[in-house]
Amino acid sequence: MRKIPVLALCLVLAGLGAAAEAPAADAPKPLLVFAAASLTESLQEIGKAYEAKTGTPVTFSFGASSDLARQISAGAPADVFFSADTAKMDGLEKGGFVRKEARREFLSNQLAVVVPLSSTAKVAGPRDLLQFRKLALADPQGVPAGVYTRHWLESAGLWKEIEPRVVPTLDVRAALAAVETEAAPAGVVYSTDARVSRKVKAIFETPTDPPILYSAAIVARSSHPAAKGFVEFLQTPEPIAVFGRAGFASAAVPAAK
Amino acid sequence: MGPSGAGKTSLLEAIAGLRRAAGRLQVSGERLLDSAARIDVPPEKRRIGYVPQDSLLFPHLTAEDNVRFGLAKRGTSSSAALFDEVVGILEIRDLLARYPATLSGGERQRVALARALATRPRLLLLDEPLAALDVALRGRILPYLLRVRDDMRIPFLYVTHNAGEALLLARAVVLLQDGRVLASGPPSDVLAAHPVEAVDPGASFDNIFDGALEKLPDEDGVGRLATPGGTPLLVPLDPGFPAGRAVFSVAPEDVLLSVRPLNGISARNVFEGIVAGLDRFPNDAIVHVTAGGLAWRAHLTSGSVKELALAPGRRVWIAVKTQAFRRLR
Amino acid sequence: MIREDFSILFLTLRVAAVSTIVILPLGVAAGWALSRGRGAGRQIGETLLALPLVLPPTAVGLLLLQFLRPRGVAGRLLDRAGIEVLFTWKAVAVATAVMSFPLLVRPVRAAFSEVDPRLLGVARSLGHGPFSVFRRVALPLAWRGILAGTVLAFSRALGEFGATILVAGNIPGRTQTLALAIFHRTQIGRDGEALRLVGVVVVLAFLAILATEALERRRSRPGGAPA
Repeated sequence: MRKIPVLALCLVLAGLGAAAEAPAADAPKPLLVFAAASLTESLQEIGKAYEAKTGTPVTFSFGASSDLARQISAGAPADVFFSADTAKMDGLEKGGFVRKEARREFLSNQLAVVVPLSSTAKVAGPRDLLQFRKLALADPQGVPAGVYTRHWLESAGLWKEIEPRVVPTLDVRAALAAVETEAAPAGVVYSTDARVSRKVKAIFETPTDPPILYSAAIVARSSHPAAKGFVEFLQTPEPIAVFGRAGFASAAVPAAK
Repeated sequence: MGPSGAGKTSLLEAIAGLRRAAGRLQVSGERLLDSAARIDVPPEKRRIGYVPQDSLLFPHLTAEDNVRFGLAKRGTSSSAALFDEVVGILEIRDLLARYPATLSGGERQRVALARALATRPRLLLLDEPLAALDVALRGRILPYLLRVRDDMRIPFLYVTHNAGEALLLARAVVLLQDGRVLASGPPSDVLAAHPVEAVDPGASFDNIFDGALEKLPDEDGVGRLATPGGTPLLVPLDPGFPAGRAVFSVAPEDVLLSVRPLNGISARNVFEGIVAGLDRFPNDAIVHVTAGGLAWRAHLTSGSVKELALAPGRRVWIAVKTQAFRRLR
Repeated sequence: MIREDFSILFLTLRVAAVSTIVILPLGVAAGWALSRGRGAGRQIGETLLALPLVLPPTAVGLLLLQFLRPRGVAGRLLDRAGIEVLFTWKAVAVATAVMSFPLLVRPVRAAFSEVDPRLLGVARSLGHGPFSVFRRVALPLAWRGILAGTVLAFSRALGEFGATILVAGNIPGRTQTLALAIFHRTQIGRDGEALRLVGVVVVLAFLAILATEALERRRSRPGGAPA
């Protein structure tokens, strides 16, 4: 007999939950954007501005571009993809998962060697990385930040020596966190990541050759009306200024120092 | 002795050191427990053997390893001799290689006894060792207990509900009730004074007869037990068993009562007697009868007692079959 | 490529074996203590024991990370002793040890509980002290439960992921176990190779289950002469 009130309570809660999820008929559907982890703070600020301007809320999923690309090819319901490199975007475009026409490349970045604030290490060039017993990197086999680093060290002829010391992490922010907690004595992340963190300092920065290039596109399956508008919004002056303040370089404007 | 819940098992466990206790315990002059002086000798140092109710042999060891278990800690040259002695007394040589699961109840009890004895304890605690055995088996194990008592000369502390065992084995009986000592003294005195408290209603207490046994001249398999002051009893005679001093028991369930003279029945021990007393329990009763110069106890249902209108002083006839007697010694 | 698979398999087996061997004496002692204990101490023990089972593995991994990093409680001591744990096979062993410990202790505790305490009392009365009684009576009677717990713990150690990835990372050749390798290969788009490893894992799982079942069957046979 006591089961009935409990059952009734569960049904009521379930009903409330469903009601909460079902959007009101006239509220706009949120835009789902998958973006590289390094873009976290900038995009969050830009997303708020976008919502204020158009009334469409934006939801972000930040992570390693390689992981996000995988999810999209497996059918994840993203509307926009903003990758930290062109390779992942090329892969998706070839598979027909993103739309060619709305694709844009317009942000660049640099690599930075970071150490905990208390460290006294100095790095004047890639060879100096050999002083560190362990080096935190986003997975050099897949994640763009790690791949860029690997190419950089390969062209310096140092990758073979450095590879055994590498601690591969899930994405660039995890590499940053590893250095913040001193689990690793040093790491290579983006300059923009180094600026975001208060627990590490960048002791060396370098552009890459070929340069780091971010790429944005609309996901093919998406039917969201605001998708194209959002990608275009990203290239307007105010968002570009936000990226610039964070340390990203754009095709038109060099990075703020 | 004492009713269930009186604390008999707890007392044995406390003496063995397997249960926390307060107070004083002295065995052979050595203080094993003295709360005031903070003495509490651990069980492994008390040298007190313990045979619990279910024999509790180690299932993962053979009978031999069970018996030798205590010897492992006191392995000396004399232990081999002791092992042989104990195995001999309890006649378990043929069982040594077997595992407890393959042994019968009686065999297990004997191995458990041997195990406790092999350490030559200074005191042996036995918790209703025969309770789990059927009546026939009980009769077969009792002789071993007597041998242990008489040949090995180890003192026992023996818990039982069975007055017959007490009368046969004990020098003194301590009667417990609700954790306190109700009475103590020679068995016959204590049992006579407290028949109800000493015995579990429903548990039989056997009639025991001690006498001189001789073979009947013209009959095989039957012997005559001449009891002091009583009529001779006809009892079964095993050809292997010697004549001479013998002790026989018969269960109260096997004592038939009649209020009319008995004729033409198969029982060969038929005597006239008088009801000396009645112990009434909820559903049954023990009727004490003096017949043929001997004291008998008969276990009857309350219904029978009522139907026959039995009361002290009433004239009755008892009948006991020869085959109902069991030799104890 | 197949060679790589084998080295991943052997690394996983090695580390799981080390982890299981290390927790075995602790687990048996804990199981024994819990089976005999009573009162508040036992309650606390049981609760702590259940934590790795109930917490998400990543939560356990994070706690271990706080503990082991250079500024952490244990990290400081290890650093001074010059012992590296984080992001080495030792961290994998620690993570798997913690996660599989409860799985070892529970069957051990159950097995010890099944031993009639009166048997232990009789053994004491025959002259054996508490440790001798444990060794000669409790242990032989509980060995099947101990073995079952060991197999269970080992299997869990083979498959550990959440805690491992946090404290040991996913370093090929050093800390990349089967579970981590499957994840990694999927991340970099090598699904086919990932599936190969899944096949290996399935075979291992089958063997573990068969072993546990065989042990269970022997236990339910009427007690008596052990194998």
